[in-house]
Amino acid sequence: MNGVLRRFLWPAVALLAVGALALTLLVALRSPPDAVGEPVTVASGTTAPALTGRTLAGADFDLTALRGQIVLVNVFASWCEPCRTELPLLVDAERRWSGRGLRVVGLDVRDGPDAARALLDETGAGTLTVVADPRGDTAVSWGVRGVPESFLVDRDGRVRQRAQGAITAAWLERWLPPLLAP
Amino acid sequence: MTRRRVVVFVIIGFLALGAGAAMWRSIRQPAPDPARQLGAGLRCPACQGESVADSRSPMAAAMRDVIAAQVAAGRSPEQIRDWFVQRYGPEVLATPQPRGVGLLLWVVPAIVLAGGLGLALRARRRRTRPRTPATMVDAGSRRGAERTWNLAALCLIALVVGVALAGPRLAEEQPRAAPSAAADLALARSLEQQGRYAAAVELYRDVLRRRPDDQLRLRLAFALIRAGEAPEAARVAEQVLAVRPDDPDTLLMLGLARREAGSPLARETLRRFLNRAPEHSAATEIRRLLEAEGPPR
Repeated sequence: MNGVLRRFLWPAVALLAVGALALTLLVALRSPPDAVGEPVTVASGTTAPALTGRTLAGADFDLTALRGQIVLVNVFASWCEPCRTELPLLVDAERRWSGRGLRVVGLDVRDGPDAARALLDETGAGTLTVVADPRGDTAVSWGVRGVPESFLVDRDGRVRQRAQGAITAAWLERWLPPLLAP
Repeated sequence: MTRRRVVVFVIIGFLALGAGAAMWRSIRQPAPDPARQLGAGLRCPACQGESVADSRSPMAAAMRDVIAAQVAAGRSPEQIRDWFVQRYGPEVLATPQPRGVGLLLWVVPAIVLAGGLGLALRARRRRTRPRTPATMVDAGSRRGAERTWNLAALCLIALVVGVALAGPRLAEEQPRAAPSAAADLALARSLEQQGRYAAAVELYRDVLRRRPDDQLRLRLAFALIRAGEAPEAARVAEQVLAVRPDDPDTLLMLGLARREAGSPLARETLRRFLNRAPEHSAATEIRRLLEAEGPPR
């Protein structure tokens, strides 16, 4: 009995150790969410970081001036392919919900103003308010992981939802109306 | 037998020397650039397994700029790391904090390592125990061989530890080989991304004066095209082509520059590029461009 125990004890311990190591690696190396399909949505509740700067149209912008409205902040760039498909959707959303207090603000990250304007014109989003962030420091202060990324800021200036990846009409339908309800 | 032993000792000697050299280099290193060190300690959130310091993604570049600005403003590494953790969560740190699941990452490998070492020692001790009188005969020579193996194993462990300690620092040394040129090139690339092509052109010219390089000349040509100085870009690309005839990248740049400058030679140059490198990453785009322009006039 003792011999059998001794014979199987060490292989069992070794097997357990390897199993634990494999499990640890599995936890540590979890692959990040896929960028294709529905965006990864994370609920938040923190106060929105500062968003100030000059718009592509040359006006000064400050997010705090929009308190009392729902603001969809969309981080994009002309070098980002998924952003191209997302922009028309944003224009539609602003047109549809602006009466209920929605504003859409683009944050153009590490981009040239001409390239950004060309993209906006191409996608029919020339009317969008877009703040230039040529060095990307505003995006970093918002914790942006990549473009496109979107933030829903409520009437009190708190970030309620953040979406990594291109948002869809279904995403807007799901998260916007609850915030817009007075 | 003696010759074999000499060979073994020479090999062990080399291993020990390597381990010693690695250790020495790791200890000798002066403190590296704090901004780079901070970048190396942060995970690029848009990439897989790359640090902010190494990644070429635009978000990582933005994070590097923020780090540099905060270092310049006199903030401590701890404050800067905290600033990023507040925005990106604790997973932005390349080295997991020894808390929660992160603690597991530290403890489990240590336990497995200790367990493996224990098993190895146990197995070795059992094998060294003489079992029959017959094996006692050559016990002396066996003990000698064992001692050699033990020494070799120790040296190997020392080498691995030395490399593990020195590795990250040695890797950091590379970009510092030509510090000002590397920094200028990074700045030039950053300027290009911001659409400030004229400033980038000046910087490329400056670096080229100090370090002539054909690849860099092609980048200058590209920046010149985007700065609206296509004829000058074509001149630069022609110079490179004179040294590297039929080089696809050079043909591509020359073709683009000539096209932008409205030269009638543009089509022919781009066709030459396509003939030389039909599989080039830009080939599809150029083919599309040429087809869109229709047949040659």
